[in-house]
Amino acid sequence: MSFLDVLSVIWSGFGVTAEVTLLSLAYGVPFALIFGILQFTTQGWCRHAATIVIEFWRSSPVIILLFVFYYALPLAGLTLQAMSVAALVLGLNIGGYGSQAVRAALQSLDRGQYEAGMAMGLTRIQTLMLIELPQALKAMVPTFVNLLIQLVKGTALVSLITLADMTYKAKSVAQMTFDPASAYMGLLLSYFIICYPLTILGRSLERRLAVAKEGGHV
Amino acid sequence: MFDFPFMLSTVPVLLKAMGTTIWVTLVASIGAALLGFSFEIARRSGRYSGYAMRFVIDFIRSTPILVQIYFFYFVLPQYGVTLPALVIGVFALSLYYSGYLAEVFKAGIDSIPAGQFEAAKSLGLGRLDTTLLIVLPQMLRAVAAPMGNYFVSLLKATPYLAVISVHEMLGTALDIGSETFRYPEPMIAVGIIFLVLALTIAQAVRWLELRLLASLKR
Amino acid sequence: MTQEHDAKSDDDAIVQIRNLHKWYGPFHALKNISLDVRRGEKIVICGPSGSGKSTLIRCVNGLERYSEGRILANGHLVDHRSDHLRLICQEVGMVFQHFNLFPHLTVMENCTLALTRVRKIPKAEAIEVAQHFLERVRIPEHGNKYPSQLSGGQQQRVAIARSLCMRPKVMLFDEPTSALDPEMIKEVLEVMTGLAREGMTMLCVTHEMGFAREVADRIVFMDAGAIVEEAPPEEFFGAAKHERSRKFLSQLLH
Ligand SMILES: Nc1ncnc2c1ncn2[C@@H]1O[C@H](COP(=O)(O)OP(=O)(O)OP(=O)(O)O)[C@@H](O)[C@H]1O
Ligand SMILES: [Mg+2]
Repeated sequence: MSFLDVLSVIWSGFGVTAEVTLLSLAYGVPFALIFGILQFTTQGWCRHAATIVIEFWRSSPVIILLFVFYYALPLAGLTLQAMSVAALVLGLNIGGYGSQAVRAALQSLDRGQYEAGMAMGLTRIQTLMLIELPQALKAMVPTFVNLLIQLVKGTALVSLITLADMTYKAKSVAQMTFDPASAYMGLLLSYFIICYPLTILGRSLERRLAVAKEGGHV
Repeated sequence: MFDFPFMLSTVPVLLKAMGTTIWVTLVASIGAALLGFSFEIARRSGRYSGYAMRFVIDFIRSTPILVQIYFFYFVLPQYGVTLPALVIGVFALSLYYSGYLAEVFKAGIDSIPAGQFEAAKSLGLGRLDTTLLIVLPQMLRAVAAPMGNYFVSLLKATPYLAVISVHEMLGTALDIGSETFRYPEPMIAVGIIFLVLALTIAQAVRWLELRLLASLKR
Repeated sequence: MTQEHDAKSDDDAIVQIRNLHKWYGPFHALKNISLDVRRGEKIVICGPSGSGKSTLIRCVNGLERYSEGRILANGHLVDHRSDHLRLICQEVGMVFQHFNLFPHLTVMENCTLALTRVRKIPKAEAIEVAQHFLERVRIPEHGNKYPSQLSGGQQQRVAIARSLCMRPKVMLFDEPTSALDPEMIKEVLEVMTGLAREGMTMLCVTHEMGFAREVADRIVFMDAGAIVEEAPPEEFFGAAKHERSRKFLSQLLH
């Protein structure tokens, strides 16, 4: 098997990798926004509850969460497909990290923005939606790009729960050809091709944001 | 149905494996810090080594840890290098996190005023002395917090080593599962233990961070 | 006769700057600078902001690379390609505008660092040397403090002591008092005057004209990257030859 053949087998798993990534985003992005905003705007028990949920999802190792949910959910009477479990776990884990970026970005805004919004007679929700969030989103973008890289890399885990993603394909090629070097070289290369542009993008966004911030002081 | 006494019975076995988890975390953290610092110093040491190191760091950051572990575990023997899985696991974790720590150290070194380097040079201090006696101590102050976060993150990556049959906690839990044909109980047990451990270590790291900052004050 | 005199003056020059040019990209920052500093001589460099004063003295100890020309410091060519550079740095002391003390080291450690690491002198001996120079800059009692616990004037005096510990053949100062409050300027200038009295060779960028008048053997006035005028202080302050020098002086006074 030539290296190109190996690569083409690996990329036959790209659809699954992409599907897991997109489904995870469908869980993770709303989770990050809702819980980040909850942590920012609420007080007392509501805030505590939000914090506990967030901490559960981001403090546990994602590989452990994946196994726990994969093996234990059926006990609770829930039989989800491996794809759904993977998307749920990867999404909420990354969403937990994302919520902290949301909260930090909101907190770093000048309080004068909130006061000006309220002084104009806007409701709390309107102030949040029209004044605070639009500004905070800009500051979050680089972190979100970095989290997206984490997510894409994290999808390699789904090969452990029988989903035939790129990693799964590479493993089977390695076993079939007795040539793990080509298989895993090809796999590293494949992830690199996907993630490297994101790495560059994240860095340039970070730099641009830092410059914009410095400019703001002058 | 869920067998609570059975879950409890797995706890002592899992706690025993926690020793491995903690050892791996400690050794790999030190390895990652040393490697990451060396990478960053090499990156600064010349134009071409700068490009080369930049690429190495980006490559490490743009590929999944799981795949890197597989790579070293399956590919090294193909070239006649046979090492215990534990050693390969520790090395892979060190390498992966060195990519992130290098970036942290970069920011830390960038935060040191240029005058410090000029003063060192004008006193005739050599490269090595300047690095170890002037840069390193001042950098540590700037990087203590993000470095601590990555050590916690590394702790949470140790269960990946289960895939190359290192008997840390997750590996042990999977073993129990395959011996007893009951996965949910050991999985939930290991999930809870890991959550508690991660939260505890995160606190401990924060405490150490403060101690370090206090001792490096001024 | 003149031949002999020339040879002697060359020999005496501890720093020799010949036809020095420096470009920052397209920007010509130093334009054909030639300047000799003789042993024991005190030279004050002044000139408007951006005229290239810092760039010039930073070239002398290799902090800045020059593009063309030649600098000899104590007989060694200042050259980035040679291994001499560290040797030159050991013989040329430098005091910075912002002190550049090492914040994580005590005053004593700041002073002994280069002695123990570069000169490889035993620690006890290094401490003795450092203590001697801390006394000379009149802060013998602060050895165990950290720089941040000292006033600006004290920090700058520590920085001077730190340089002196290496027993440099020549000292470079880059606006050593311009980051200080007025009351602290005096204590630093007193130390510098004392040093000058003891015969230290000094190349000093400063706008403290009182100090220049009292201490300098020669004043070098720079503008736009070139040396415009070079004269003893009486002459420079009394009857500056060039329009630009006079304008600069009158601006300083007002
Ligand atoms: N790294 C650099 N890159 C580009 N231009 C520079 C650089 N350093 C200095 N310059 C330029 O070179 C010129 C001389 O700078 P220099 O710092 O030597 O001036 P100076 O006489 O010391 O001024 P000041 O009194 O403000 O300290 C200035 O116009 C400055 O903008
Ligand atoms: Mg200057």
